[in-house]
Amino acid sequence: MKSAFAYQPRPWPLQSASPGAAIAYLGAIVAVAFLYSNPLVLIAAGVAAVAAGLLAGARRAVALALKMGLALALLIVVVNALVVSRGETVLARLGEWPLLGQVDVTLEAIVAGASGGLRAAVAMVAAAVYSACVDPDRVLRALRPLAGRSALTATLVSRLVPVAAADAARLRDAARLRGPGAAEVGKAPLARRLLAGSLDRAVDVAATLELRGYSLDAPRARNRRDRSRYDRRFYAIAAAVLAAAIAGKALGAEDFQTYPSIEVGFGPATLAVAAIVALSGLAPLRRKGRVSSSSRIARQSRHAEVARV
Amino acid sequence: MSELAIRRGAAPALAVEGLGYAYPHAPVAALRDVSLEVAPGEFVLLAGRSASGKSTLLKAACGLVPHFHGGEIEGEVRVADLDAIAAGPGELAAAVGYLAQDPETQVVSTTVAAEIELPLEMRGDEPHDRARAVEEVALALAIPHLLGRTVDTLSGGELQRVALAAALVTRPRLILLDEPTSQLDPVAGDELIWLLRRLNEEWGVAVLLAEHRLERCLAAADRVVAMEAGRVAFDGAPAEFLAWAQTADPALETPAARLFSLAGIEPLPVGVRDARQTLRGMGITHPPNRSSRRVRDPHPSDPALEAKGLWVELDRGDDVRDVLKGIDLTIRPGERVALMGRNGAGKSTLLRTAAGLHEPVAGKIEVGPVALLTQNPGDYLVRERVGDELPGEEGLAALRVVGLEEKIDADPRDLSGGERQRLALAIALAGRTEGEQLPGLVALDEPTRGMDRARKDELVALIGRLAGSVEFLSPGDKKSTRAAVVVATHDVEFASEFADRVALLGDGVVIADGPTAEILSGGWYFATEVARVLDLPGVVTPEQGAAALAEEER
Repeated sequence: MKSAFAYQPRPWPLQSASPGAAIAYLGAIVAVAFLYSNPLVLIAAGVAAVAAGLLAGARRAVALALKMGLALALLIVVVNALVVSRGETVLARLGEWPLLGQVDVTLEAIVAGASGGLRAAVAMVAAAVYSACVDPDRVLRALRPLAGRSALTATLVSRLVPVAAADAARLRDAARLRGPGAAEVGKAPLARRLLAGSLDRAVDVAATLELRGYSLDAPRARNRRDRSRYDRRFYAIAAAVLAAAIAGKALGAEDFQTYPSIEVGFGPATLAVAAIVALSGLAPLRRKGRVSSSSRIARQSRHAEVARV
Repeated sequence: MSELAIRRGAAPALAVEGLGYAYPHAPVAALRDVSLEVAPGEFVLLAGRSASGKSTLLKAACGLVPHFHGGEIEGEVRVADLDAIAAGPGELAAAVGYLAQDPETQVVSTTVAAEIELPLEMRGDEPHDRARAVEEVALALAIPHLLGRTVDTLSGGELQRVALAAALVTRPRLILLDEPTSQLDPVAGDELIWLLRRLNEEWGVAVLLAEHRLERCLAAADRVVAMEAGRVAFDGAPAEFLAWAQTADPALETPAARLFSLAGIEPLPVGVRDARQTLRGMGITHPPNRSSRRVRDPHPSDPALEAKGLWVELDRGDDVRDVLKGIDLTIRPGERVALMGRNGAGKSTLLRTAAGLHEPVAGKIEVGPVALLTQNPGDYLVRERVGDELPGEEGLAALRVVGLEEKIDADPRDLSGGERQRLALAIALAGRTEGEQLPGLVALDEPTRGMDRARKDELVALIGRLAGSVEFLSPGDKKSTRAAVVVATHDVEFASEFADRVALLGDGVVIADGPTAEILSGGWYFATEVARVLDLPGVVTPEQGAAALAEEER
């Protein structure tokens, strides 16, 4: 089965945009998540990342990333609550723990953990949308003039990972199909077999690269300018989000603190930054082409002629 | 020689002189004193049994041998006047394209367009030249609709075409193909061969094609080179090759040639059209029309597999699709059934559902113990000693079933391809060969990929033993030890040899189901070569065809 995070080409704005524009847009959302700790802004960034993914058709990638991201967020909350005993509102005193000492669970530590977890979840969803919507071949082609060998190594790895995943699935099936009288397949022999198979595959792929002329010391190929009509939209929205985030910082939108007590500000600057960031999630929206009145008239007259004939 | 002269075909596309080669640490040489020449624009078929040196010769012609594999080489190989032994595969890439058996490992990019463009980019071609070359090769191979797709969404046939496009995009003078149709259904396989012929004629590209299924491509070839134990055993025209094979190596005869041999008709035909013309010339236009007889169910026992209204859907990541759409199928012990159909018709899914790897979404499937051998027997082999894979009495019994009990101390990697396949089958059978757990169903998924005739004959014999009175399983009760054997295959000639029944699947439904002789003589793609020559209901093998022709003479 194809991975939910695998790139799926579609003629939609985010997939059509040049890698630079798509990376700038998704990067701006992640940047906001790392610039701010305010839960409102973080939720807005999460909404933007989810909306961008859904509008780009990456439903499965978003759902899986959300599941993984929220599980990670929960883990961060639990670890932070157990490790950090700062904060005025003690919810539970769990006594002395080995290594951790006195463990007091505070509301402030839980909220701080939730903020960090939310940040990680936003980054994961944005990464999932990138993986499912940005063509890795175009990214690598854009990188090739800067680091040719590294880009090719990345190409090889990106090809071998799904092949190894398919090999692993086949080996698991074969293990299930062994007769009850055959030796059980332990994890170690299976892993050895998978590794040996992957090495064989790598040799085959390397042979293919040789045949494609990889070892040639040819003049470096120039590439077409990789542009799309959506690039301006994504660059503009990325710039607007980053500008709003920086301006918001300057105007005190980051009015959030957890220790010693929780203080969350919902001032106009915070609300404005959150609104701009959340709305940026609509950037991959597809617009249906509008028909101008003159072309509509021309089409109607053509229809009329056809009808007369 | 100038590039223009080479382009115009002054030099041979391939010239091999006294070539000898041994892989590193190999006890015997893979190639011995091989000399041959392929002229520009020539279509040459490379025939021979497994391990006769065909693949090694192709690898030497594209520079992988010795540059990639190492080993010791002697003699001379020139490709479009380039010294292939001195130049590496990269330098040869502009002059020669290579397509191997498994298309999975021949793609390195994520999207089809990027994959085809890669060799040009490596060569430093300008963007507009690359764009045009990609467009032209996509049009030539009828794949422009695939350019925007990712390679992991393609079928085997589509992937093979994409790999071929990447090999052809540099406009090489010579294209080397190593069993490119072994994973394709008859339709896709025939399409690929005729596509090659068209490219050969229109682009003037020389073709050197290694194949086991000679009946598929002999008619397209200008010349045949037969290899035997690393040497060139024959080099000549297709008709002469058939006359040579008749005495030197009958395993290389095509079914139509065998039909003519058995019927004592000369000359031997290189293809269906040739055979029909010869028969017409002899005044045989319609041999006696033997009506097809429906075989009544010879095994009125409980079914080994019974599927009723079976629906199975598979989630392929980007879409969820019904692969089986209400299959009704009953198979009884002792039956040998060939499951046929295009790639993606649902053959493998049906076998995997029977083995419990997929759950039906509607309908039901009732089946006893199933031993399923999937398409890659190597997946079953995880240990370094045969006896460690199959310990104890049950393991030994399974080895006895497949005739490998003497290899119990061998390393599976040292076994031949056929032996490895039989070992994998023994692993699937182990513990299901005695008492209550006899295999109700033995299922094999595409077991003849890359097999030569001799190995196929061995497999036919093994299937016969499993479906017949398997005395070595339970001498006291022959009837109960008979397994139903179901084989998913694209190989119509193999199906005609082993099966007594053929179920033809199309887009998830059974579109034809009946005796082998009836199903394989009633169509074009899913018909044997003999059936296409004679066009007689019920006549599919050379022996049946010869009998029909003898009846006509009387």
